[in-house]
Amino acid sequence: MSKMTGLEQSQYHPLVGVPMATLKPKQVRKNIHLTLWEKLYVFEILRGLFVTGKHFFINLVGFVLPPAGKKRKVFTVYYPEEKVTLPAAYRGRPVLVAGANGAEKCVACGLCEKMCPAKAISIVGGERAGGERYPVSYTLDMARCVYCGYCEEVCPKEAIVMSSEYQGLAQRDRAILRYSKDQLLRSEESVKGRLDYIRRIYSKCSY
Amino acid sequence: MADLEKDLHTEHMVINMGPSHPVTHGTVKFLVTLDGENIVDMKVDIGYLHRGFEKMCENGTWQQVIPYTDRLNYVSPLINNVGYALAVEKLIGIEVPERCQYLRVIASELSRISDHLTNVAAGGLELGAFTAFLYFVEARELVWDLIEMLCGARVTVNYVRIGGLKNDLPQGFQDKTRAVFKEVRRLWSDVDKLLTKNRVFIDRVRDVGDISAEEAIAYGFTGPCLRACGVPYDVRKAQPYLVYDRMDFEIPIGETGDNFDKYLVRMEEIQQSMKIVEQALSRLPDGPINLDLPQYRMQPKEDIYHRIDSLIFHFKTVIDGIKPPPGEVYLAVEGTNGELGFYLVSDGSGKPYKCRVRPPCFALTAAMPRLMKGRLIADIVPTFDMINMIGGECDR
Repeated sequence: MSKMTGLEQSQYHPLVGVPMATLKPKQVRKNIHLTLWEKLYVFEILRGLFVTGKHFFINLVGFVLPPAGKKRKVFTVYYPEEKVTLPAAYRGRPVLVAGANGAEKCVACGLCEKMCPAKAISIVGGERAGGERYPVSYTLDMARCVYCGYCEEVCPKEAIVMSSEYQGLAQRDRAILRYSKDQLLRSEESVKGRLDYIRRIYSKCSY
Repeated sequence: MADLEKDLHTEHMVINMGPSHPVTHGTVKFLVTLDGENIVDMKVDIGYLHRGFEKMCENGTWQQVIPYTDRLNYVSPLINNVGYALAVEKLIGIEVPERCQYLRVIASELSRISDHLTNVAAGGLELGAFTAFLYFVEARELVWDLIEMLCGARVTVNYVRIGGLKNDLPQGFQDKTRAVFKEVRRLWSDVDKLLTKNRVFIDRVRDVGDISAEEAIAYGFTGPCLRACGVPYDVRKAQPYLVYDRMDFEIPIGETGDNFDKYLVRMEEIQQSMKIVEQALSRLPDGPINLDLPQYRMQPKEDIYHRIDSLIFHFKTVIDGIKPPPGEVYLAVEGTNGELGFYLVSDGSGKPYKCRVRPPCFALTAAMPRLMKGRLIADIVPTFDMINMIGGECDR
């Protein structure tokens, strides 16, 4: 390493040991000395009022003259009446998907139970008359669920997906939050958007 | 004289600040010995948010740890995800595709922006600047919208996987980032106008909590608090990981290490992080985001649905966990408070034998008595905010 000899050594930062040209330190404190004008403070108050006043009037105009297609141009959302638009990636409450015959697609393989980092899922598997496996009981404890989406990611049957439901999850009793199979079941049409999304993100084009 | 002291109660008084006090953000207790208003001695009691992260990791598979890391520094979860995934990848000896590396850089920097916004906002709030808090929380909300669009959740992201990522960039992410950063810059300049030259703010933070560079290094400071002392140490430059060596950004440094320097360093880092995200988005290469290594990264869903061998292998990797070779590894990333290190030990099984986290704010919190001795009790407020101790990370 002939480059590191001689004068060039001084270009390395003594404490960090990285060339100064790579480090690019930037002194941030250089200009912060208050002038007499700023020390007087009265004019600084006016300047601050100008900044906050600007926000106030922008919000006021946004209320009175909203942009096209919107009720008002304000940052906040008036929750129970209005709701935010959720992105496609949004992970809400996990739900079970029902197949064409109305019964759940789940075959009680137990992968979601195994993968769940919060151990919120418990499945009791059984067999139908034809030898087909199905979950006799599928309990999802919403008081434990952390919405990580691993159950959806590992499911080999597209039987459990993260819906966009996020309401009704604050209860006074934990027993209410222990959802059974019937409470979790949703028709395939109602979660079609999410099914398309997971087919896309876990598809071959990402590999 | 003795009578006078008896009447005046001149003995020291010990008070408890916390565990639940507005200043402490999370839960931490200060045992402060006071002489009037001056702090004579101070003890910091941590551990109120101890959830046994390291023990939990030993009971889960390697993949299951990723949602747990979201809860370390809960203000910047993506950096924890990236750090853990990089440490496991180093243990295995694999490198993720280039597009994935760029996306991880984007995710980390978005997280850093949101963390610094929160920190500066809360710092302003505690000193009475409620307006600055509202503006920065609005900016953070916008950044969180971006993160939600990318990961599906705002805080509990669970985005990074060992050997890849959960998903690629969503449609329209670039345009939305441009719009959001325009708004964040506007709000940034508003807060800059409100705070940086505000005498009330400066009187509270300047020359409070100052520490020399040598002493800061001796205490184990990293991150913005060390940079405020004038040492341009940043893991992104000192030991570049991912594609940070290709990014063009500056390291803001202060002079005295007081709270005002820490504030200025954080404000400048928000700008630098936005610069990095823009660069990464403009240079983003095409290609895969996941490694095609079924023993470490889940296979594509088409294979799992339609091929029996893939399905069997999928069951095996989920139930047994991925199996990195036996060994140990330490890898540090630049967290928002400093060097966030992961020390992992593998015994060749599907579960981590040991997963130790080096939290940056532990060393910073340990220096609180040094920073506060001889100061006024009111100085705890800005100092502890600029230390930015995050309970989830410090107590784990």
